[in-house]
Amino acid sequence: MEGDKRFWRAVLLALPLAVFAVFVIWPLASSFYYSFTNWNGFNPDYDYVGLDNFQKIYTDKLFYQAAINTALWMIAAILLPTALGLGLALLIDSSVPGSAAFKSIFYLPICLSAVVVGQIWVWIYQPDWGLLNTVLEAMSGERLRYAWLAKPDTALWSVIVAWSWQQTGLSMVIFLAGLTTIPEDLLEVCEIEGATTAQRIRMVVIPLLTPATVVVIALSVINSLKGFDILYIMTGGGPFNSSDTLAMHMYNESFKKYLMGYGSAISVVLFLIALTIIRVYFRQLRKVDELYG
Amino acid sequence: MARLVLEDVTKRFGAVIAVDAVDLQIEHGEFVVFVGPSGCGKSTMLRTISGLESVSAGRILIGDRDVTHVAPSRRGVAMVFQSYALFPHMTTAENIGFGLRLARVPKDEIARRVTDVAKTLQIEALLDRYPRQLSGGQRQRVAIGRSIIRDPEVFLFDEPLSNLDAALRVRMRLEIARLRDRLDATMVYVTHDQTEAMTLADRIVVFNQGHIEQIGAPVELYDAPANLFVAGFIGAPAMNFIPAEIEAGENGKANVRFGAVSLPIGREAAEGKVTFGVRPEHLSVAAESEHDFLGRVEIVEKLGAESLVYLQTGFSKAPITMRIPPELSVHAGEEIPVRVGRKRLHLFDAEGRVI
Amino acid sequence: MADAAVLPPARPPFNPWPAVIFVALIVLALLFLAPTAGVLLSSVKTTREIALGALWSIPAELYLGNYAEVLANPAVHRYLLNTVLVSAPATVASIALGALAGYVFAKLPFRGSNLLFLVIVSGMFFPPQVILIPLFRLFNAMNLIDTLWPLIVIHTAMGIPICTLLMRNFFATVPNALREAAILEGANEWQVLIRVALPLSLPALAVLATLQFTWIWNDFLWPLIFTQSDEKRTIMLGIVNLRGQYSVAWGVQGALSLIASLPTLVVFLFFQRYFIKGMTMGAVKG
Repeated sequence: MEGDKRFWRAVLLALPLAVFAVFVIWPLASSFYYSFTNWNGFNPDYDYVGLDNFQKIYTDKLFYQAAINTALWMIAAILLPTALGLGLALLIDSSVPGSAAFKSIFYLPICLSAVVVGQIWVWIYQPDWGLLNTVLEAMSGERLRYAWLAKPDTALWSVIVAWSWQQTGLSMVIFLAGLTTIPEDLLEVCEIEGATTAQRIRMVVIPLLTPATVVVIALSVINSLKGFDILYIMTGGGPFNSSDTLAMHMYNESFKKYLMGYGSAISVVLFLIALTIIRVYFRQLRKVDELYG
Repeated sequence: MARLVLEDVTKRFGAVIAVDAVDLQIEHGEFVVFVGPSGCGKSTMLRTISGLESVSAGRILIGDRDVTHVAPSRRGVAMVFQSYALFPHMTTAENIGFGLRLARVPKDEIARRVTDVAKTLQIEALLDRYPRQLSGGQRQRVAIGRSIIRDPEVFLFDEPLSNLDAALRVRMRLEIARLRDRLDATMVYVTHDQTEAMTLADRIVVFNQGHIEQIGAPVELYDAPANLFVAGFIGAPAMNFIPAEIEAGENGKANVRFGAVSLPIGREAAEGKVTFGVRPEHLSVAAESEHDFLGRVEIVEKLGAESLVYLQTGFSKAPITMRIPPELSVHAGEEIPVRVGRKRLHLFDAEGRVI
Repeated sequence: MADAAVLPPARPPFNPWPAVIFVALIVLALLFLAPTAGVLLSSVKTTREIALGALWSIPAELYLGNYAEVLANPAVHRYLLNTVLVSAPATVASIALGALAGYVFAKLPFRGSNLLFLVIVSGMFFPPQVILIPLFRLFNAMNLIDTLWPLIVIHTAMGIPICTLLMRNFFATVPNALREAAILEGANEWQVLIRVALPLSLPALAVLATLQFTWIWNDFLWPLIFTQSDEKRTIMLGIVNLRGQYSVAWGVQGALSLIASLPTLVVFLFFQRYFIKGMTMGAVKG
């Protein structure tokens, strides 16, 4: 019996593990290896350069810019889609008519690709006839020509807003799923004890949404680390690298400048950041599970 | 004075009538228990009193104040839920003091009153624990603590003991009885457990299909059920029902006949088909000469303090249950002589009403 | 009967909040819809009308020329075909591999299987950039750059974490007694998986199919790295490519975006329930 089980475990796991190992685990390990080389992407040969690439990171101003932008993106990701998603979920959950339709509308952007979302928002930010300037013009009465994506001070934030527009629906549905797990009788206690709506949300609903909040924040942070596609479409990291993120910077160094060794070093840093976040995430999940599980 | 009055209260869910024109008066300080099978409307009734459900028609008065459309928190009611409904992210102290915090009572006063309540319920040692660290009985106490701290006029209990195991249920029942004596409040208690109903209630209200079947003191319901439903619902094991007929007896008084048995009922009654009811404890094993009928023993259940005997008879398809002293030795398969106690005969007409 | 001391309110007091919330939601919904609606509107306008500065207004007339133009473009056909050729096999393969692994983790756990499961699942949280360069080198060495093969293989491999996670969680809800009964009847694990577990897991398969298809269809990074010639491009890359060709033809660009999004929109509209469930299951139980 146990021998049978062992046989079938091996048979069933062989293919998925092989594919995963060859195309995910092995490349991950190799990234560490290449980060110590100066491979240029074409030449099959390369030299071992020790810690040179990591020393270069240390002095690379563009890397710092990208790291700061990634951090800003993360903070915005925690604030914008999380807060908006929570707000929308609370509104929709209050049994309004047509809640299913509202849910679909807010969720719809998730099924669009980053390319399409990027294009939509490029149009919105377009200086001459973009929706944003048109509306601002109508409100202020002035001729506005602010080039949101072409100015270093607004480019990153403009992309983050577009990205948040797409992500909010995801946060919302996770919060909605969390809301359905709150036992009805706890809300009834609020009613009998005389809690106002604000008190109920602050003292009961939001604390009880902690598991969902942990998930939403973790997902937002992790997804912000992946911020690439939409950025590539909307600004390409520009102008003057003002909207670069680590993922973008890694791509540029590797596939524009063909510094594959250096790109690998950046990807190693990216991996370590992601690993830290994921470990914190799993630890929080376990804690939450103990409290609310 | 917190008298609770229900006037013609009706609750509909779509086409379903959960509570059907119920009239009821509960006096101040009274402990009233709603019983009935599941789905009979007893819980819905309680929830309309609390205000968690609005009424479809009728009026609810608490202390002579019309609260029909008053928010739950302003009715002066407190509710103890079946699931305890404790907040998992709050300690015992925070759960008990929840209502006071909502009302923005000063912190030190909250602390003082929480400690007082915890003392009465003997849960002072648990004040810093979270619900998941408490046993079922302790959680129940915390839930009760949360309800008494606000000093409500009416307590509502929604099957508070049904999640506890049997031994704990007996202990908590006693505690609730003690609480009832100590607090000067009106209490409404919903349960499907008739032992709880019988032991706790000043008056029992039997619900069935959204309306009240009978209201009365526990012993009253037991001794004089108003109809077949109450007769069958109150008492365990349940009353035996035997199809029977009324026929003329001596001195103008009537007899009830089933099979070859004819018993004088000691009063007049119209002739016709009836249901004859007798409780298991009013049947006894009799001397050969005094017996009313013979029954073949199908099964004997020895419960220790008593034994239950199930008899096959010629006049009833369902086995007849009787309760006998444990020392009487009765065996499956034997035929025993049975006597029907003459004082507690119940007769019900075709509509199920008592005759 | 004592009369009520206080005047009884004749009916429940009016509560304005539902109306306020409803209006707030309508406003927010319109704000959220505006970007998508803009593209839709532009796609049915002539280039002239848009050039006159009316990209965001209601079109003067319904003009379908943009769609005709996009649909007549042979490059678009090729992009769409390529995308199907990648999405379909990669979706099926990733779900199949996830089902195999998920079954073992759910029904045949072993020492260390939880750790292995965790390692696989965490794969879905990492930015793809961390494995980009070695994969580029690998496929380069295999002479597969500028073919569709790397895309199929990588999407399959990258889909294993989420597929394994959801399949394991779903298989865990299949009662053990069913497996044991089948085994007592003489079935082996493969037969249990194919005949018992999978037929009971159709909802999970639907969830995964919608998720995987949408992600793969919409992907941009991998085709950007591994395809170079126009013949091998997928539709999302194609949109970017055609931007130059239709540089001021905003209407055509809008129509192109909508056509490119149509498959995922259709999947979303018809399988929305599964889609949302998958997103939340994947997220919450991670």
